[in-house]
Amino acid sequence: MMEDNQAANSQEEDVLSGQVVVANEHGLHARPAGLVAQRAQGFEADIKLVNAEQEVDAKSILDVLTLAAAPGDVLEIRVQGADAADALASLTTLFKNKFTE
Amino acid sequence: MADKILSGISVATGIAIGKAYFVNRNHKAHLQRQTVAASQVPDEINRLHDAFTAVESELTATRERVPADLKDYGLLIDTHILMLKDPKLAGVAEEYVKSLGLNAPWALEKAVSDQEAAFGAIDDPYIRERMQDVRVVADKVQAKLIGRESDLASISGRAIIMAHDLTPADTVELQVDKIMGFATVRGGKTSHTGIMARSLGIPALVGTDKLEDFVRDGDLVILDGLSGKVVVNPTETELEDYNERAAFFENYTRKIRRHCQLPAETFDGSRVSVLANIELVEEVASVIDNGGEGVGLYRTEYAYMNRTELPTEEELTEKYVDLAAIMAPRKVVFRTLDLGADKFISSFGELNETNPALGLRAIRFCLKNPQLFKTQLRAILRASAYGNVSLMFPMISGVKEVRQAKAWLAQAKAELRREGIDYDPNMPVGIMIELPAAVMIAEYLAHEVDFFSIGTNDLIQYSIGVDRTNHHVSYLYQPLHPATLRAIKLVVDAAHQAGIEVSLCGEVASDPFCVPILLGMGIDSISLTAQAIPGIKRIIRQTNMHDCRKLLKDVLECRTVSRINKLVMDNIFKHFPEEVSFFSSLLENDEAPS
Repeated sequence: MMEDNQAANSQEEDVLSGQVVVANEHGLHARPAGLVAQRAQGFEADIKLVNAEQEVDAKSILDVLTLAAAPGDVLEIRVQGADAADALASLTTLFKNKFTE
Repeated sequence: MADKILSGISVATGIAIGKAYFVNRNHKAHLQRQTVAASQVPDEINRLHDAFTAVESELTATRERVPADLKDYGLLIDTHILMLKDPKLAGVAEEYVKSLGLNAPWALEKAVSDQEAAFGAIDDPYIRERMQDVRVVADKVQAKLIGRESDLASISGRAIIMAHDLTPADTVELQVDKIMGFATVRGGKTSHTGIMARSLGIPALVGTDKLEDFVRDGDLVILDGLSGKVVVNPTETELEDYNERAAFFENYTRKIRRHCQLPAETFDGSRVSVLANIELVEEVASVIDNGGEGVGLYRTEYAYMNRTELPTEEELTEKYVDLAAIMAPRKVVFRTLDLGADKFISSFGELNETNPALGLRAIRFCLKNPQLFKTQLRAILRASAYGNVSLMFPMISGVKEVRQAKAWLAQAKAELRREGIDYDPNMPVGIMIELPAAVMIAEYLAHEVDFFSIGTNDLIQYSIGVDRTNHHVSYLYQPLHPATLRAIKLVVDAAHQAGIEVSLCGEVASDPFCVPILLGMGIDSISLTAQAIPGIKRIIRQTNMHDCRKLLKDVLECRTVSRINKLVMDNIFKHFPEEVSFFSSLLENDEAPS
């Protein structure tokens, strides 16, 4: 039992991560930032966006905006929690499709 | 007499009579900075969240009312709703209540200040400005918390909206059917308030000094968008008088709108083309509705502003093709980029010009940046395959500049030909005449191009040497200065001598008093803001060319502006005695303010 729990825990605690490029024309301005936050809010997992010097909460539009990511910037998405894999895939697709739904 | 009559600048005509309603957004001044006892913290947190929830449901309801054609406004509200739900506002404010024992309004203000610090540190001006949206959202919550609700959304009856200033964000929430007009203290001729009011067909004034001192919520006011006045608590007689005027005006507008699709032809059979000035492709509906025969000036700057990267050829082409195709077979005249380096956000660095109006701008800027110039030329050429497209270069000062610009155009054509991309090889090419130098050598320039377009706003400023936005000298800005009239005459004559057409775009073209003189000059077309077209067409249709020539002859013999203004006004008073009070005009006497 103990072992099972630990295994489950450690699985939950695993941080998944992936890199994305800000490929749309204007960078993470209000609209794309809103879409990122909205999408992130759909998952239970804890989701962070990281650029060179800043790590922010992807579920907060204000945080995503203050990241001020410009076109061409490479960001890291770090996800931790139950639905981490789905969240990572979903957000990566959003960036890849340049925020068109 | 009424309690007070205030003056402002009319940005949308019409008359509204109703109750004043003030939109007060200065909540900060009413903030009570208190702490709450530990026992009250849970209640205070509930209060905070209730306020957030209440605003959220209001915004959601507003969102549902946004018409489909105001898509940008809808997206803006989406952003506001997301900000409202953001843990960085509600969550952080809650933390401040809990840990510091602040009351809810104070805690929220502190959370907003944190965001202000974060946004203030951002280099990108577009993102930095989003702080205004955070403020708008937070202000709404504050209004709930403090119990001082004066939001637009909460108006119960029909009202005339008074405000210090109205932001695009405010106008999002307008329950359009409840708003009878606007008056604001700030704002200029081109402010958002005017655009909104004109599209709603209600009167609006900006620059109304002392509005906040003399008008209170619930006061009965007359908003006169014809003469630019706010009449506060009018007398019975004034009310009757204005009711009658309002009815007349409504009648008049209905009449001119009904006839706006008819050609602009004088009694004695002279035709002039009446086209529209536009800035956005979306304006074409209004151009066609108001009887515009085409677009005489498409200002192409918008696509370059408020962004960090230059638009691509594909992006421009898509927009330009849309415009050309929707308007076809009507004409669309593209003016190439008329911007100085100062308007580009980050692409070109600072020039530090002491005198930007005389600096690197418009065609000069384009010739210095051929890559940018050619991208636009290619996009315009590509659009020319889809409609009736002409192109013109702004701020031309001499023959060499025209030849250089045309050489780039020829190169763009050659490239497209090699790439097998369609364009109209006979697309007419013209220049704007807006510098005195161009006026003086108009006869030479006429041999270089297919048409002239006289840009009177700049021509007046450059020839009189006056910055019209500088209120110390703006009284010198005189559309009918004898020098301006001579300049226009010289250009029209030079064009016709060379067998090319000449058009005029500038506010003079939308001024009912000035139009008869322009007709007398023999101008081939005029281009003006779409909303003014029905009124101007009516004037042309009620005029004799013969009278216009006579008027011009008399005017050209006058030596002073005041004499000229008197002649043109007398002319209109004589021919349009019943409608003259509905005309708004640029003409003012050239007296220095005391």
